[in-house]
Amino acid sequence: MATIKYSPEGNLCGGPKPTPTPAKVPVELHVCMGLNACKGHDRLGTNNCAGTGICATAERHNCQTLNNCKGQGGCGLYGDIEAQSNPGNNECAWQGSCAVPIQAERFRTLGPERGKSVWLQARKLFEERMKKANRNVGPSPYKCGPPQALLVRWLDGYDSCGNSGDKSCSFGFNNPEDNAKRLCEGKRE
Amino acid sequence: MTQDFFAKGADPVTPDNLGEAIQQAIEIEIATIPTYLYTYYSINRSPDQEAIKTSIIEKLVAKGRPPIEAEEEAIDLSAELMVFANKAGALIMSVAIEEMLHMALSSNLKQALAGMPDLVGKSPVFPATLAGHQPPFPINLAKLSQDQLITFLKIESPTDLPDPRMLKTINYTTIGKFYQMIIDCIEKNDLKYLDGPQLIEGKAFYAQNNIDTVYYDKKHRPHFTNMDDSGDLCHVHDKASAIKAIKCIVDQGEGFDDKGLIQPGDRVNCTALVPGDFDDPEKKELSHFEKFVQIYCTYNSLNDRFKNLDIGVTDMYDYFVVNVADNPKIEHYPAHVVPVANLLNAIYTYIFVMIEDCYRQSGNTQWEIFMFGIHKSMIFILNSICGDIMSLKYTREGKEYVVAPTFNDYKFDDKSRPKAQMIDLFNKAVAVFPKIQYLGQRIHDLPDVPNVSSINSF
Repeated sequence: MATIKYSPEGNLCGGPKPTPTPAKVPVELHVCMGLNACKGHDRLGTNNCAGTGICATAERHNCQTLNNCKGQGGCGLYGDIEAQSNPGNNECAWQGSCAVPIQAERFRTLGPERGKSVWLQARKLFEERMKKANRNVGPSPYKCGPPQALLVRWLDGYDSCGNSGDKSCSFGFNNPEDNAKRLCEGKRE
Repeated sequence: MTQDFFAKGADPVTPDNLGEAIQQAIEIEIATIPTYLYTYYSINRSPDQEAIKTSIIEKLVAKGRPPIEAEEEAIDLSAELMVFANKAGALIMSVAIEEMLHMALSSNLKQALAGMPDLVGKSPVFPATLAGHQPPFPINLAKLSQDQLITFLKIESPTDLPDPRMLKTINYTTIGKFYQMIIDCIEKNDLKYLDGPQLIEGKAFYAQNNIDTVYYDKKHRPHFTNMDDSGDLCHVHDKASAIKAIKCIVDQGEGFDDKGLIQPGDRVNCTALVPGDFDDPEKKELSHFEKFVQIYCTYNSLNDRFKNLDIGVTDMYDYFVVNVADNPKIEHYPAHVVPVANLLNAIYTYIFVMIEDCYRQSGNTQWEIFMFGIHKSMIFILNSICGDIMSLKYTREGKEYVVAPTFNDYKFDDKSRPKAQMIDLFNKAVAVFPKIQYLGQRIHDLPDVPNVSSINSF
């Protein structure tokens, strides 16, 4: 059984130096489909334009404070308004407030944009950044981000955090795709 | 826990006993947290709708209802039940979150007016009573039921609870009145405000809503149980900020002008909402008292629907409430569960160790302890292990129960740091319960905070 060892200071400042990792050709790390700033910088490395990538390059994780570093946190389901307004735009490790990648059905839980799409906010921030950098942006493979059902198929299961149940669901009185469409149109879920 | 602080009855709060009074307020807030969380964890917020629907159809058809009609009824009833189970969980969690806020607000008060708040080792041993409340009434770790909701309503009651001994000494009769005694002392006296670290607004420490305070309606549209403007942390540095912090606590708990339980008999008023039932300026967030009223009354109406069908369902909580024991003790658990229950209690206690340390630290150190320690522990360690442990069962006195958190204070010894002890506990627990292996890295990543007893208490 895998046990863990106590070490003073853990992953905060101080303690032993980390073990070096082998150098790799770096790509920019981003949190989801349609958020790549550079050609070839997505999970598969085959996209040909900014904004057209198929999936995140940041490490997959399922909730708040589990992101590795700057710009690698999804957002929306935990955290304050500031954090929820900045999906994929966090300042440092462990400062993201939700899972990566961001499913199309995820909505914000705080602030004036409460109930609105997290992925659309991430894309908006991304497009603003590209405009500032004078770069053209191509369309995302899915207009409003990857549907949860797609992520479940691609990733062999997908879960974002929380105890309130599946974000894409029906109790018999709705079509989940209609709910997702409303969110995609910028309406409140 | 401090009991019966105002030993001589309705003594006023004075500058001399103010620190003791605020410490009692802190301990009242702490006592509510495991009480509400235990009930929360007894709820399966996403039960198997298909299984529920099928069961209802079978019972209705057996009673002679045509299959198509039975299916229509079952779809509607099972959907109502799905919404209710999730809503009950969301409402209780939304209260628990605000109780944590209240613990921090009352700790800020104490830090400003008397010095370090004492948080570690202050959880009640259940069954317990609410410190100082008259009349005393038991608060239990218990699964969701109408009886447990009455206990919750008594805790949050905006009006006095009837007591045949009311002519005798009175400590306080509602939490609101207790806090009012503290406000009176603050207003009447020119008190010195100390400058120690506090948990303050604007640092992302507190968020009114998260995904756990959300529930979905029948069309699976999300509803948010807390509002952005209903309260926040508050830096207590003068008379006005001290009173603002207390008003936030009282309004969120009791509402602005709620009428409380109906006497005699602690009956619940299930009539339409009135402005006094809310706690925010826009009248969109219900007070704690009224949130519990909503669960209580919705249960009654929905359960009546089941009863009227005459299909043998007498308590619809059976569909989604887990059978956990009242006030479980670790000694009740079999040997293979004990290491896991000990780890859970150590994590629970370490959260208070970290919160207390936030009142010794400032700047980035305080921020890191809070965000990477307390947040991570609450959501990704405690919440996770509470879910995991409830996959275990045990038998006591001939009855089978689901294992549940006992929420006891774990006594860290002085021989090593609490985090080192927690890692030892994890290694023992994972050896008998491999399912929690994924928690190892999360525990490893926690800040390493000492367990220092308070040096500034009264």
